[in-house]
Amino acid sequence: MSDSVLVIGGGIAGIQASIDLANMGFHVYLVEKSPSIGGRMAQLDKTFPTNDCAMCILAPKMFEASQHPNIELLTYSQVEEVSGQVGKFRVKVRRKAPYVDWDKCTGCGECTQTELGEDGFKELNGETWVDRIEIDEQKCIQCGDCVRACVEENNEAQAMTNIAFERRKLVETLPEEKSAKETLMHEIARMDESDRRDFWQKELMKCMKCYGCREVCPLCVCDECEMDDPQWVAPGLVPPDYPLFHLIRAYHLADICVGCGACEATCPAGIPLLTMMHLACLDRDKIFDYVPGLDEQAKKRLIDHLNQHPIAARGVRV
Amino acid sequence: MNSDFVLTACPFCGCGCNFYLQILDSKIVGVIPCNTDEISEGKLCIKGRNADKFIKHKDRLTSPLIRENGQFRQASWQEALDLVSQKLGEIKQKFGPDAIGFLSSAKCTNEENFVLMKLARAVIGTNNVDHCARLCHASTVVGLMSSFGSGAMTNSIPEIENADCIFVIGSNTFEQHPLVASRIMKAKENGAKLIVVDPRRVPLMDFADVFLQIRPGTDVCLLNGLMNVLISRNWINVKFISERTEGFEDLKEKVKEYPPDRIKRITGVAPEDLERAARLYGEAKRAMILYAMGITQHISGTDNVRSCADLAMLTGNVGRESTGVNPLRGQNNVQGACDMGALPNVYSGYQLVTDKQAAKKFEKSWAVKLPSKPGLTVSEMLEAAYAGSLKAMYIMGENPMLSDPDINHVKSCLEALDFLVVQDIFPSETVKLADVVLPASSFAEKEGTFTATDRRVLRVRKAIEPIGESKPDWMIISELAQRMDGRRFDYSSPEDIMKEIATLTPTYSGISYARLDSGEVLTWPCPTPEHPGTKFLHQGEFTRGKGHFIAVDFREPAEMPDEEFPFILTTGRLMFQFHTGTMTRKAPSLEKEASKGFLELNPQDAQRLGIEQGERVVVKSRRGEIEIDTFVSDKVAPGVVFIPFHFAESPANVLTIGELDPEAKIPEFKVCAVNVCKRK
Repeated sequence: MSDSVLVIGGGIAGIQASIDLANMGFHVYLVEKSPSIGGRMAQLDKTFPTNDCAMCILAPKMFEASQHPNIELLTYSQVEEVSGQVGKFRVKVRRKAPYVDWDKCTGCGECTQTELGEDGFKELNGETWVDRIEIDEQKCIQCGDCVRACVEENNEAQAMTNIAFERRKLVETLPEEKSAKETLMHEIARMDESDRRDFWQKELMKCMKCYGCREVCPLCVCDECEMDDPQWVAPGLVPPDYPLFHLIRAYHLADICVGCGACEATCPAGIPLLTMMHLACLDRDKIFDYVPGLDEQAKKRLIDHLNQHPIAARGVRV
Repeated sequence: MNSDFVLTACPFCGCGCNFYLQILDSKIVGVIPCNTDEISEGKLCIKGRNADKFIKHKDRLTSPLIRENGQFRQASWQEALDLVSQKLGEIKQKFGPDAIGFLSSAKCTNEENFVLMKLARAVIGTNNVDHCARLCHASTVVGLMSSFGSGAMTNSIPEIENADCIFVIGSNTFEQHPLVASRIMKAKENGAKLIVVDPRRVPLMDFADVFLQIRPGTDVCLLNGLMNVLISRNWINVKFISERTEGFEDLKEKVKEYPPDRIKRITGVAPEDLERAARLYGEAKRAMILYAMGITQHISGTDNVRSCADLAMLTGNVGRESTGVNPLRGQNNVQGACDMGALPNVYSGYQLVTDKQAAKKFEKSWAVKLPSKPGLTVSEMLEAAYAGSLKAMYIMGENPMLSDPDINHVKSCLEALDFLVVQDIFPSETVKLADVVLPASSFAEKEGTFTATDRRVLRVRKAIEPIGESKPDWMIISELAQRMDGRRFDYSSPEDIMKEIATLTPTYSGISYARLDSGEVLTWPCPTPEHPGTKFLHQGEFTRGKGHFIAVDFREPAEMPDEEFPFILTTGRLMFQFHTGTMTRKAPSLEKEASKGFLELNPQDAQRLGIEQGERVVVKSRRGEIEIDTFVSDKVAPGVVFIPFHFAESPANVLTIGELDPEAKIPEFKVCAVNVCKRK
């Protein structure tokens, strides 16, 4: 089985999926047809339901995806052909000519500000510039102003050229044994039980008991929480007793966690809570052979079960 | 349905986290962390996450109260303020302005502290204005002022991440400044070494490379011993010492008197541990000292602070990034309240009242003649009240009936006053003694600024309308001042006050609401509107010119254990409560975690006395006695007991001693002698 994953579409879903996969140790190819990742979310002001600023959420993730050692961005590219089977796909990606050397481009934007030749681009809503990454070959008059602007701004390190460096690049095969960066999941996978216990004990000792993981979780919705029950979690102790505080949360959410990572992001102690959730979800997959959202019959079976189960006698009916 | 998010600053500790208050139909429904905030980075502690819970609590004071025949009755603002201005006027006329004392508040905004300071000085004509910094970091202000020339945290919180060695002394950072502890843990992950010095086994100890458990009150001895090792091993920065400091020879002679075996005898720290700590600190490229109440709240508090400063200068760890001497201030705006001159000897920006030029500037701006004699400190005011020379007090947002040492005595002091005005948001223990109570608004109901521990000025924004008839503190004070013919109190908003602060205070000159609202992070000194703020102090040159090594001698605490009172009591705080609990004890989720006080007792002592886990015992000192549950734990060393001071039901400060540091006038909360015995 290959250690690589190809994600098609560089919107927020694709970016997040890529980051998560990359953090789990896979080498990710993220294919996006437009010149930049970001997608629809980059065009929105606010997001539902928290009214959070869309770009504030998106921008750090875009940056992370672009800098992640395990993610290879294939922007301005499209998947042309998929063959092979699970575990070993062969994918043909067409990389469009960007007219820009990505390694040299500083993103200064000078090339897009140049005046164009007389007959050039009057059609373009009266504006006299275009995005040079995506030059319309029908309309380009090859005046060379953009190249001159690039040279002027960036001296010898100019990135722009009128002739595309790479007109076409076919990614014929995904390299078989690309060395992926060691991640926490790798490390934990290698540990035996006692090492794992020590690892989590050390991490959870940092807990400040702020309940932030519970507060920010979009799926923590119970009115009453087991974590508030003094018989499980003794009040007043900092750090809380190992490991009930965190185990209750992790296993309560194992069947619904979407891996958004809000818990880890808000943890003042920097505990790798997302990894903990991934592990809890792995257990769920292994023990119950159940992946949320994939089994169409699951909801019906759950409702049937609840209606027959003794809990129904306590007045809970769905 | 209307929803809104208001970015504001946390009202609890000095870390200075920003968060959003979530508003739904003009009601606050929650706290949301702010991901883009430089300090919190989208993280908060449990107190911050529950910062909205007390705002709408049913106990909030909603209308002015006047005491009549021993009972409070509701009154109108008109009536209450008229009464206050008339009474204060009478007392001023009869006994002179110095018969009135003002306590400002580290919970209120900079603007409000400035206006109260102005009321005391310009309208009443007294310098008797002080606030609770006297009880926490007065020794820092005095000590660092004499060593460096500036009494504030030298570096900023985010810099902690990049330090090579962090020396934490007398600070339970993990519980008291969680977001600073968060940085310490990050630094640890980056490979930093951590030294923790504390009489208790605080949670941060678990992460420490070296943990030194000292006997309470022996900090000077330990620090002198540490410096002795550093000098004898030559782990010092000779270039820094010769170029930027003075007084090194005195220090060198003094610390020779503290060889490791003497340290072992006095503090209980083994020579090899001392050596290890010295090596880690001395060999680090960038070493930071963090300290808090464990250093300051002693009769030798100022000496402790100077020793910390000496240690940093000895190794050249000042004036660079990720170094310095960093007092962690306890209250959200205790730095600001000091900056605003709510202290008896200085105007805003630490301009001395005895300095003629500074006084002239303020006199010109306020169009009055100002008193030039420094006023009384908190503890001195209470003593003066007891002696009868202080007739009236105006207390804004403070609760001396729980926070000051020797409460029984405080009570008799406050009762001796002719007239007591308390301005607060909740009926605290102090409010119960007041003659007039003025209801103030909480942080969510007003505009203003706080100054966090690392000199960072934060905007506080109004999220909801004031509860009931309560008013923002600045409004109450300026209305009162205008009634008493105070000139130039016609502010239309806190922004007006900030403009005045900027014109009169060199360190705040460049700070304006416009800059803060545009998202700039400003740390004073910020002398001009173009100045980007100063991330760390003393770069190239100390504020006072040359850094001053001050050799200090070890002094034993004021009260040592004896046969009658064999235990050392040290007091402190818990993660889940804040100071006197007027705000945190209104939040159910915080109260659930810690709802009552306890006595931490070492298992050896418990066994010897036959006291079981959870047993209710009597704790006595020369000043009083309280009943309290026991928590047997090896967090404290044998012979030492610990009580958190939050809880009015078992107030630790009934026991503590009112003995003061001679220079900073800070009481010795951290050491007093007590006895623990079973209930009869």
